[in-house]
Amino acid sequence: MSRSRRLFSLGLSRRTRARAEMLEELAFHVDARVAELIARGMNPDDARAEALRRMGGNIDDTSKQLGDSAELKERRLDVRDRWHDFIDDVRYAVRGLRRSPGFTAVAVLTLAIGIGANTALFSAVDALLLRSLPFREPHRLMDVVQTIDNGGTAEWSYPKYAFFRDAQKSYEAVAAHNARQITLTGDNPERVFVEDVTANYLRALDLGVTTGHDFALEIETGGGAPRHAIISDALWTGRFGADPDIVGKTLHVENEPWEIIGVLPRGFRGLSGRAAALLNLSAQPAALLSQPWNFQYSMIARLKRGVGPEQAASEARGLGQRIFEAFPPERGTLTTSKAPEKWSADARALNSIRVAPGLRKSLLVLFGAVGLVLLIACVNLANLLIARGVSRKREIALRLAIGAGRGRLVRLLVTESLVLAGLGGVASLAIAFAGARALSAINPQETLQAQGLGSALGIVGFEGIRLSGTALAFAFAITLVVGLLFGLVPALRATHSELSGELKEGGSGAGSSRRVGAGRRALVVAEIAFALVLLAGSGLMIRSLGNLLRVDPGFDGSNVLTLRLSVPNGVVQPDSMQGFLDQLQSTIAGLPGVERAALADCPPLSNACAGTIMTFADRPLSATGNAMIGVHWVSPNWFSAMRIPLKRGRMFTEADRFGSPRVVLINEEAARRYFSGEDPIGKRVAVYTGGFDAGAQVIGIVGDVRFGTIDSTALPDTYLSYGQARSPRMMLFMRTARDPMGLADEVRATVRRVAPQIPVFDIRSMGDRMATATAQARFSATLLALFAVVALSLAVIGIYGVVSFGVAQRTREIGIRMALGADGVGITGLVVREGALLAVIGVVIGLGAALASTRVLRTMLFEVTTTDPVTYGGIVVVLVASVLLANWLPARRAARVDPVIALRRG
Amino acid sequence: MAESLPLLKGTLDVLVLKALAWTPMHGFEIVSWLEERSRGSLDVDDGALYYALHRLEERGFISSEWRLTDNNRRARYYKLRPQGRTHLKAEGANIERYARALTAILAAPSS
Repeated sequence: MSRSRRLFSLGLSRRTRARAEMLEELAFHVDARVAELIARGMNPDDARAEALRRMGGNIDDTSKQLGDSAELKERRLDVRDRWHDFIDDVRYAVRGLRRSPGFTAVAVLTLAIGIGANTALFSAVDALLLRSLPFREPHRLMDVVQTIDNGGTAEWSYPKYAFFRDAQKSYEAVAAHNARQITLTGDNPERVFVEDVTANYLRALDLGVTTGHDFALEIETGGGAPRHAIISDALWTGRFGADPDIVGKTLHVENEPWEIIGVLPRGFRGLSGRAAALLNLSAQPAALLSQPWNFQYSMIARLKRGVGPEQAASEARGLGQRIFEAFPPERGTLTTSKAPEKWSADARALNSIRVAPGLRKSLLVLFGAVGLVLLIACVNLANLLIARGVSRKREIALRLAIGAGRGRLVRLLVTESLVLAGLGGVASLAIAFAGARALSAINPQETLQAQGLGSALGIVGFEGIRLSGTALAFAFAITLVVGLLFGLVPALRATHSELSGELKEGGSGAGSSRRVGAGRRALVVAEIAFALVLLAGSGLMIRSLGNLLRVDPGFDGSNVLTLRLSVPNGVVQPDSMQGFLDQLQSTIAGLPGVERAALADCPPLSNACAGTIMTFADRPLSATGNAMIGVHWVSPNWFSAMRIPLKRGRMFTEADRFGSPRVVLINEEAARRYFSGEDPIGKRVAVYTGGFDAGAQVIGIVGDVRFGTIDSTALPDTYLSYGQARSPRMMLFMRTARDPMGLADEVRATVRRVAPQIPVFDIRSMGDRMATATAQARFSATLLALFAVVALSLAVIGIYGVVSFGVAQRTREIGIRMALGADGVGITGLVVREGALLAVIGVVIGLGAALASTRVLRTMLFEVTTTDPVTYGGIVVVLVASVLLANWLPARRAARVDPVIALRRG
Repeated sequence: MAESLPLLKGTLDVLVLKALAWTPMHGFEIVSWLEERSRGSLDVDDGALYYALHRLEERGFISSEWRLTDNNRRARYYKLRPQGRTHLKAEGANIERYARALTAILAAPSS
């Protein structure tokens, strides 16, 4: 029998031996044949020749071939034996696990949570940070930016882009693109994003069209070219019902006709990730495109083969210098600088800007946290396995004694942990799947914008998160590693050969169990420390979130309904715009439940408002530097609708109209920063937008409102009245008497009645917008808190297991102590004291680790230091209380030990 | 000696199993047994026998061990395993049916 034969396989390797044995067998056979032939009367020489002939003639060839055959057979048998051994081990493991369902359930569940959470987060890391961009040779794609010597970056104007494009030598194609929101007009007005792109955009990305053709390169004229559009597959199948004759049809953008020349590949929606169509940007008027200071285009470029990113970046820096000199700063743009800024350019791999650094960081922090959860789960598993090893040590010692190899036993035990890990891995898929689904449902674009994380590449988004093959491979890999690593140590430990001792001691051996006990106590300490790190991280995030939620944004956002309006070109004549707006506001304000209806161009906390430069009539331009200022268009009643206080001076009135002297309001921060020591009221300033560069008078100061991210204090802002300035952007803000969303349908219907051609979109309560502003913080804090709770629970379960096991093992000792007069309280104290000691050691180590590791959270925290004593105090109390509880329960059981029974059993 | 017949493909394995169904044997004994049983009408190539043995061992039909012969020489003895016995039953019956069918056709008077 093959397996018993293997037991005696000493010395030569199995295959070498197989060959040698074959030769011996062959020799025996030939000898036997010769003897037979001689017995039949043949002479010895002829007999030998005949015997060899029957073996196939050339004896050397035959021996070699038969040797090969024997080796091959042996190799196959070897594989099969190993496989059978493995199957036997698995069967044995499964039998063993079924005998202890409680242990199995806890271990599998623990692992399922650990592996599942890791896989879900890995799928996010994969989609957002790792997966290669969906273009051919994505490493050749570069993002080229203008750089400012203060460390900032800027987009390009068309003339500067064209200069760069024509002067560079590193790229095959240099394209410009810019995403913006427009209205598709016609029967069914729709707000969508489009990208204005140069004709070579798709060529730079190495993409084609599925229907029709790409932009002709000749239309890249720098203005006034025919209007050509390539629509997305989604728009084609949606709005155009997958019309096979789509090429040549018309797309109405803001009431302008664009000829559809092609359809994009399915799934591709521009680098912004959300474009419904690509429009050739040369269709815009030359007068608009030729402005060198109109920065709005991003630049994407494909490197020539053989040109490295470094080389391209250094070329960009050189060209940036030339571009700066070719377009000298003009009045109203840069001349206000005290020390003129130096602009240049730089190129970086497109992949390096795929997500904003802040998002990358949160993801990695969460991934680290979930890794700790897995570590705790593994420590628990190791603990459980060691406990099992201890309780099976007689069985193991017996097997060792009857001659089972230690390697074979270790393999058996590791197989058991692999089976456990495998079960956990399979169960984890449900958690991973649900987790990945939940992560992919996060609506990122606006959320990220409101957190100041918006500079990311739109095509890399949360919606790409899924349980991909890579994620499954990751799950498989960690399952395997967990099974091997955390099975191997307990297995080595359990089979450590002190077999004579184990057998002699008759089961409750003190010697090795003390050693094992030390190992398990170390694991408990590790668990407490890990849990503390996670608790600290989540505690800090929760404190930070609390601070964010307490921030006073400068307005009262409760019971405010908001919606965006877009007035397409030509729908309302410029002359009648004011009348139209007045009518709209008064109609809405007349609805029951609406107290006030006001207009502004941009909502607070969106981090997406316009800004420009302010200059001061009574000061030389060089005195103030670049006085950056946020610009907001509002209707006069917006401040009262939003309950923003007037601090000094007067508000806008209906009398501030076109034709009357231009006036502006500023916020307190602008007054502080730009008018320190002076009274701003009555001062003349110029705001470089909306026709206010000719000058305006400051008439009042209003309270600060946070327009940027919620964690950044208000910046200098100025307000213009819609009565005196135009903005294409417009939002309605309604102060309501009741739940604002309850009025949404009525408001929408009213706007449609007043102005049927004007699309209404993005109806949300202001509370909802404020929630968006804290979404990232809530997301991180929630997940971290979830992980911390899981970690704490796992740690408590683990500690409970260790302590109760220890108590069970010491039943005899406890019995003796009680027989000698110890009372229940004393016994409880004994057990709890031991646990408390472990807790203290774990807490000390954990505090050190937490203080070191939470430093990475610093930039994610709002008004909390990473050493916040309140947080640390709180979590230490929670942790110590949990650990003591986990100790007290088994201790109480120990105190109830009946000494008579305990002693008799021992 | 009448001209011996070449073995049909696949039959050698069954014949070896049949031989071992009697008693464990070494390779030369198997060949001798087959020659004796067929009264010399089957030509078993001595080399081919060992390939067949490897095949059978691989498939788990037989096992082998080294033992001493009556003359005190070390030889490898092959032994039928239960799986081999089952296989012999099934395959043996198949070959018998096949042989009967062939005989029936070939023995029929030609018109």
